[in-house]
Formats: sequence, structure tokens, C-alpha cells
Amino acid sequence: MADPKGFLKTSRQTPPRRPVDVRIQDWKEVYQDFGNGELEQQASRCMDCGIPFCHSGCPLGNLIPEWNDLVRRQDWQSAIERLHATNNFPEFTGRLCPAPCESACVLGINADPVTIKQVEVEIIDRAWDEGWVVPQLPDRLSGKTVAVVGSGPAGLAAAQQLSRAGHTVAVYERADRIGGLLRYGIPEFKMEKHHLDRRLAQMEAEGVRFRPSSDIGESVTWPDLRARYDAIVVATGATAWRDLEVPGRELTGIMQAMEYLPWANRVQEGDMVEPPINAKGKHVIVIGGGDTGADCVGTAHRQGAASVTQLEIMPRPADQRPDEAPWPTYPMLYRVTSAHEEGGDRMFAVSTQQFIGNDEGHVTGIELIEVRMVDGRFEPVAGTERQLPADLITLAMGFAGPQAETLVTQLGVELDARGNVARDAQFMSTVDSIFVAGDAGRGQSLIVWAIAEGRAVASAVDAYLMGETNLPSPVRPTDRPLVV
Amino acid sequence: MAKTRHSTPGVGLISPPPHHDIYSIEDLAQLIHDLKNANPQARIHVKLVAEVGVGTVAAGVAKAHSDVILISGHDGGTGASPLTSLKHAGAPWELGLAETQQTLLLNGLRDRVVVQADGQLKTGRDVVIAALLGAEEFGFASAPLVVMGCVMMRVCHLDTCPVGVATQNPVLRERFTGRPEFVQTFFEYIAEEVRAVQYWKASGLDLEPILHVPALPEGTSRRHVVNQDHGLDKALDNQLIALSAQALEYAEPVIAQIPVRNVNRTVGTMLGYEVTKRYGGAGLPDGTIDITLNGSAGQSFGAFVPRGITLRLLGDANDYLGKGLSGGRLIVRPDENASFDAATNVIAGNVVAYGATSGEIFLRGLAGERFCVRNSGVTAVVEGVGDHACEYMTGGRVIVLGPTGRNVAAGMSGGVTYILDLDSTVVNAEMVDVETLDETDAAFVLSSVRRHFEFTQSTVAESLLKDWDASVKRLSKIMPKDYKKVLAVSAAAEREGKDVNTAIMEAVNG
Ligand SMILES: Cc1cc2nc3c(=O)[nH]c(=O)nc-3n(C[C@H](O)[C@H](O)[C@H](O)COP(=O)(O)OP(=O)(O)OC[C@H]3O[C@@H](n4cnc5c(N)ncnc54)[C@H](O)[C@@H]3O)c2cc1C
Ligand code: SF4
Repeated sequence: MADPKGFLKTSRQTPPRRPVDVRIQDWKEVYQDFGNGELEQQASRCMDCGIPFCHSGCPLGNLIPEWNDLVRRQDWQSAIERLHATNNFPEFTGRLCPAPCESACVLGINADPVTIKQVEVEIIDRAWDEGWVVPQLPDRLSGKTVAVVGSGPAGLAAAQQLSRAGHTVAVYERADRIGGLLRYGIPEFKMEKHHLDRRLAQMEAEGVRFRPSSDIGESVTWPDLRARYDAIVVATGATAWRDLEVPGRELTGIMQAMEYLPWANRVQEGDMVEPPINAKGKHVIVIGGGDTGADCVGTAHRQGAASVTQLEIMPRPADQRPDEAPWPTYPMLYRVTSAHEEGGDRMFAVSTQQFIGNDEGHVTGIELIEVRMVDGRFEPVAGTERQLPADLITLAMGFAGPQAETLVTQLGVELDARGNVARDAQFMSTVDSIFVAGDAGRGQSLIVWAIAEGRAVASAVDAYLMGETNLPSPVRPTDRPLVV
Repeated sequence: MAKTRHSTPGVGLISPPPHHDIYSIEDLAQLIHDLKNANPQARIHVKLVAEVGVGTVAAGVAKAHSDVILISGHDGGTGASPLTSLKHAGAPWELGLAETQQTLLLNGLRDRVVVQADGQLKTGRDVVIAALLGAEEFGFASAPLVVMGCVMMRVCHLDTCPVGVATQNPVLRERFTGRPEFVQTFFEYIAEEVRAVQYWKASGLDLEPILHVPALPEGTSRRHVVNQDHGLDKALDNQLIALSAQALEYAEPVIAQIPVRNVNRTVGTMLGYEVTKRYGGAGLPDGTIDITLNGSAGQSFGAFVPRGITLRLLGDANDYLGKGLSGGRLIVRPDENASFDAATNVIAGNVVAYGATSGEIFLRGLAGERFCVRNSGVTAVVEGVGDHACEYMTGGRVIVLGPTGRNVAAGMSGGVTYILDLDSTVVNAEMVDVETLDETDAAFVLSSVRRHFEFTQSTVAESLLKDWDASVKRLSKIMPKDYKKVLAVSAAAEREGKDVNTAIMEAVNG
């Protein structure tokens, strides 16, 4: 039972971020931990609600009030047990999750919600420090084999669950390192990669085999893989990016965010000293106002860009939860990420007319126009055209869906109307023994959804292989986030 | 909140309160009668939990003259309800309702009661189903609360409701955003849906047994058409009201004398109703109506009697004397010609002053069990009591000048009890301490015993008063622990000129 009056005594606090001028000199994480006792205070704000809406806000169904209370009472070891009961990788979500749980927190109806995510990350960080996170070996092996294709959070969660259930699991990844977007995409300053490495080491000790640099469909065909394993989990993400078809798109210096960000990751991995694409001294334009765009902004700051401007076609969202997105939904808000704190401009309600280049075919600028929403369509506002100088432009406009061509051609797997890999209520594709999880089946989403799907697909695969299962299944393929 | 409940701010209440005045259907019938006397305009409801056999109970309740029978389903309950009742009490209201309807019809009792249903009714469809199964009224609670902003926190009893619905904390009340129109709209939707619901195929269910209509004599009504006969026209109170006309009309003093018999139940209550109707909760000046009754009074003598009425009974009384007493004074002593020893004989039955809120009771002789249970403000003097005296008492003063049964002061959270020659092993010490009297106590008890003698010529009082210095040493004081703390806090606040309620809330909330 929580302290019933905690929320009346303590107000919400988040730990300090490192000073901007210090942190943009390096690539380390921006956040710091709380000092002694402050986190316990924050956890005591949890009201242990009769109907805990945070449970439904979090796709994993994290038992938030339980571990809040355990932290309040400083029973950290029980807290990590309860947290690991529903979340394989709290060190990822605790750093990277946009925390829909906090949007659904009952306290958030009329006050600031509980700092759920901060509690989560400090529980797992402490558990690692104390040595409480150890490999969990299965009691016995089932003799069944599963190939997981794609090593993002969905694939990793599925692999860990299935391996712990006694199946022999190999994870195939086309990139040269394991981790999916956690490895190549998400910048070091949002999550230092040693967190990922530490978790992968645990999984290897549990028996999971990792096979990087294996592009399924190319180096190994899907039918070959299918012949070798009892089941396959397709967790290949939604990696097909959206492009911007305007005049000048062919100029050099204009690229996809995912053609830009991974180089910075590689520098951090020690593969090279300088990235081949570097924002140093350049005027950088980031097209797309979302989190991928913010990652480009933060990366460009750290590389020493001359200026950074982020463009968004939608109007500037509200600062406070708007009426049309009532509690407990996840609202569109004007969010100031750590990258935005570090500088740069943000422009809203603007659309790109064309890119401007020089004689060498390199981009030198961009022409914009303001837009207005009329009957659900963006209409340019005449006379608002303007130009900005640009040496480097990244497109962070979202992802259309999975790159599933070889799945379709080699296995005859069907796609759904939105281009995602179609699946039934048991996460199985239209081809027997081929399961689908994460962004590949759901479309572009979040890490927490990917982990939830990974857990759920593991349960479905286990049931398929064994006839029954004890593995939990937190989400259904058709579940959607609480948004309006 | 504490004021309306006649309790002490800062002292917890035992909830739900136990009904130690009802152990049988006869007790219930008496309570219904008392309540009807207390307000003949009001409909008396009896709420029954849906369960197997509820039909039989409902038939008994209809015979006990309840005006409304409410069948309550298993899935309701406020956030403050204990989990045991929330999760493990009762059956679906649909089943309870069907059984009730059929049993009432078979016994020719349906036409005289209104049948109501509740328990998580949320939709027009629920209303239609309840109507089909026999209900004619429908209770909604949780759903309209949610409409007002309730988020089912289940902390109604902790004063921490974060949306300001069930709390006295001003900070939290600020957070309440509900509006009456929300509830209005909700019920408009319900009504709209009721009009729209059509019977849809309940595949796989055989509904015959619960929709069954028993073979009925021609002309039998399947709903409420006649009112219960509460027999109020036969009440002695009709004479008391006539005798008190001057007082009722002009607030002039009235003194009267009248014989009473044990068929006269609930004497004084309807008279009290007339006083309250005209003069409100304040009643009349003390002693405006002073009636002496000779004989043996029936059950519930002086129930709910308000301030301004003094009833003097020369004879004896049955159970429930002074039930819910609300400011009046009741004096009972044996007839002057009685040959027995008053101090060793029973003069009033069980459950005296149950749930009484204010007023005075003087009994020359012994009373039965459960004396002053749930008393919250009455001062009572008696010469001996049975078991469970002062159980769940929350306020008032009780003076027992003779023997007591066991389990004194169980769950007693407020008020003070003084007992002569107390055997401390009979005290249930969970919530109370046994102490000696201080000066204020001694002065209070002395004046009360003097008044007891004045009103009743009690020989017990007389002999105690003869050597009061020795007598006072024989008295013990039973003091609830939390109550004592709160009294100390408020005394200190008064001394220091601080606001008493603020001081108490500070002390309690820490
Ligand atoms: C730049 C960026 C930042 C983000 N930041 C956040 C954030 O802060 N918080 C958050 O919650 N979400 C964030 N997201 C979204 C989140 O990363 C994804 O929703 C999540 O990683 C999806 O997980 P997944 O396991 O389904 O796929 P992915 O993580 O995309 O992993 C799929 C993997 O499959 C591999 N693969 C694909 N095809 C094959 C094949 N044929 N053979 C072998 N391997 C293959 C890919 O190389 C990739 O490694 C971000 C996304 C991007 C692009
Ligand atoms: S995983 Fe995300 S939604 Fe779930 S508890 Fe953690 S921060 Fe909240």
C-alpha cells in the first residue's frame, strides 16, 4: 500500500540534466540520476489507484504502482523482480520511452504525473550495479529451434523469452552489429550503447546465438531459413523511409536521417574517427519535427554545426494537453527534447518547395512556404516563400513500412493494406510457422511496443511449438496506443 | 462531516456500521414501524442483497410493511467498501430480482411494495432487463459518479480522492471538475437508450425460468398499486398529538397524563415528527411538552423524540427504548405502588438508546443487553445493564450505577462511560482505557446522579449521594483512546486561541 498522502506532500521533480555547454562537448547521456532519497520521495507520489490507468498506458502492462511502492520502501531487489516480470529491457525504455504511462497516470488529471520512467530506469540501473541481473537459464530444453530475424527490441525480447522457455534461438541481423535501431539510429547521448552490450551479454549467457551480417533473403534465403528452423519470427522493423519528391532532391548533401545518424553511432563504436558525413561547420536543415528529427538535431550540435533548423509541416502543437486529447490519452504536445534545449531553430507549418544547388550538384539552400490546413489538406499561403541556406539536409519524415520484398517473393507472405506484414491474432503471417512482431507488423512505432510485441509473439510461438504456453502476452496484434 | 454524523472530528468511525438493533425479521418490522412514525411522509426502503433465497426474505420484508424493496446486485459497492463485500457478497441482481418478483407474486404481496434494483446499472439495456424481471425503480450510483469525474480510486474513506469527489480536503475539492449537466446528459442518454433497446436474441440462454410468471388469480397486479398499511391510525400518538396541540401550534407548555399499554408501540415518535416538521431540528424549548404515561409501554418507547418533549413513564418499557433519541428526555421508573425492589429488577428491554444522537435518559432499574450501542450524544443514567453495553459508541455520556454484563465498550470510539464498582475484566479494552475520574468527571457525575434522584426518586442514587465522597471513589471511567487524544488537542488549541478544527486535522493528518 502506497503512502496515501504522498502526492499531497511532494511535487514532481525530474533529475537535473547535464549543462548544455558541457554535454554537447561529448556524447554521453544527458540525464543524471537523482541524489539520495529523492527518487523514493518521487515514488511516494504514486496513489496506488483502485484502477491504475498507467497499466493500460504502458503497452507492457508494467506493474507500476507495485514497484513505485517497493522503491518508496527501498526494497530495490523486489522492485527489479516486479519490473522484470513484465519488461525484458527496462534500461532501454527507462531511457527512451516517451512514457505513455505518465500521460495515463491518474495524478495527471489535475496535477503532474508520477515520474514513472525515472523510477523505472533507476531500478534497473541499481539492479545492474548490485549484480542482481544474472542470466536465467531454462530448466530444460524443448529441442525446438527458432530463428529471429531482426535484432531490434522486438526481436531481442522475443529471443529472450523463447530462449528462457527452453527453445534454441538464433538471432539474424543484416547489420554488422546486433541491436536494430537501438544500435544504429538512436544516438549515444540518448542511450549509451554499453547498456545494450551488457544486455546482449546476458542473453548470450542464456543461450541466445547472435548472427550479425546475415541479410535474410539475400545471403540466406527465407525458404532455406524456414527449412532449418521450427519457427521464424520476422522482426525486421519498418525500415522503408518516406522520401520528399520535390525539385532538387537529387542534389548531394540531401539524405535520409537513417543515412546520416548511423555514422555517428559508428564513430562511438570506434569504427572510425570522423564520420564520412559530418555536420561540422555546416548549416543543417532537418525536415521532420519528430523524434528522429530531434536525434539529427542533437547529433549535428555535437558535430559542431554552424546552424541547425528543424522544419515541421504541422502547426506548432499546444504546450498543455488540449481538450481534444483528454486524459488518459497520449496527447500531441510541444515537446522540448534535450536536443532542442541545446540550440537551433524550429519552424512549424512550413513545407519545402524545392532544394537549391550549386554547379557541382551540391545543395546550398532550401525554399520554403508557409502552409495552412484547409479541409484536411495543406494549402500553401501565397507570398510566404522564403529561402534558407543549407549545406546538409536530413529527411526525418517517418517510415512507410517494412522492407518485405524478399518475404513476399520467396515465401509468398502477404502484406496488409498499409504495407505491413499481415498476421493473425496469434501473430502468424499468412505462411505457416512464420510469425511477425514489432514495427514489421505494426508499422513505425515505439520501443515499448516492440518489446511488448516481442513478448507476445514469443508466447504465440511457444504455444505453436508446444501446444500450450505459460509465457505472458501483453498485447494483441490489433491493440493500438491510447490516442485520439 | 463529523457534525452531520454526530461524531468527533479526527476520530475514526467503524464503517459500515453494524445493525445491532436488528437480529430478526421482527426487529426489522419494528424498525420500519419506528421510521414510519418518525416521518409518515417518507417511504421506508429495505435493501436486500441478491442471493439465493432473497425472495423469501423479500416476502418477509413486504409483510413487515416496507414500502420499497431494493434488490442490490453483487457487483456494486463504493470505493470504501471492504474488499470482502466488494468481491464476495451476493449474486447478480438479475437473479435476485426474478426470484423476488416471483415469490412476491406467489404470496400476493407484490402489489403493496415498490421493487427497486441497483448494482452497477450503467445502460438503458440494464434498465430494460430490470424492468422485464419485475423492477419498477432503478438505482444508479457508480456510473453517474464516474460521469462527474470519479476515477474509481477506491480511497473514498481516506480523504485523499485526487479528483475531489469524496474528500473534505479543500486542496482536493478544488480539483473537482464535475458539473450537474454531465449527470443530466448521462440520464438523458440512458432514457434515450431505454426507448431504443429492442429484444435481441440471447442465444444459448434459456431465460424462461427468470422471466417466468406464476399462475395468478385473475386481476393480480404485477407491480406496485396499493400502499402498505402501516397502522399509524391506531397509534397512541394520535392522542398525544391532540393533547399537545397548544405546544405544536404556539410552542406553549403542555402537561398531560395518559395510560399506556404494551400494544402501544413507538410511543412519542409521531408526536416528535409533528414537532420536527414545525420547528426543525432544533425542536422546542426543553420540557415544552411534558407527558406522564402510566403502564407498560410497547417497543421503541420514545424513539427519535426531539428536544422539547419529556416523556415520563411510570411502569416499565420493552426493547428499543429511546432508539435514535434526538434531543428529548425519557424518564422511566416503577409505578409508585410497585412492591418490588427497583434496583434489582429490569425496567427496560434490550437495545436502549441505539443510535441516539442527543437528549437524556434516566432509568430507575436495570436495562437489557446492548445498552447505548452507537450512541453519539445522549446522556443516560441506569442502574445496571446486560452484555455489550456502549458498543460502537461515538459520543455522549453513560452512567451505570450497578452491575454490567460482559464486553463493555467494544469498538467504542467516542463518548465517556462511568461505571460503579467496575469489574475491569468485562471491558473490551481494544479501543478504550479504564481510568479514574478527575474533578470535572466527578462534578458531572454528581449532578447527573442528583438529577436521576430528582426525576426517579431512585434509592440507589439516594444512598450514593448520602456519602458522595466514598461513592465517587467506587466509580471508574471508560475512555476511548483516540477520542482522548483529540480532546486534548482541541483543549490545547482553545487555550492557545487557535482554530480547533484546524488543530485537529493537523494532528490527525500529521
Ligand atoms: C532515429 C530513431 C530514433 C528513435 N527513437 C526512439 C525513442 O527514443 N523511443 C522510442 O520508443 N522509439 C524510438 N524510435 C522507434 C523505435 O526505435 C522503433 O519503433 C523500434 O526500434 C522498432 O523495433 P523493431 O524491433 O520492430 O525494429 P528495429 O529496431 O527497426 O530492428 C529491425 C532490425 O531488423 C534488421 N533487418 C531488417 N531486415 C532484415 C533482414 N532481411 N535480415 C536481417 N535483418 C534485417 C534491421 O537491420 C534492424 O536492425 C526511434 C526510431 C528512429 C528511426
Ligand atoms: S515502458 Fe514506457 S510506458 Fe511502460 S512504464 Fe516504462 S516508461 Fe512507462
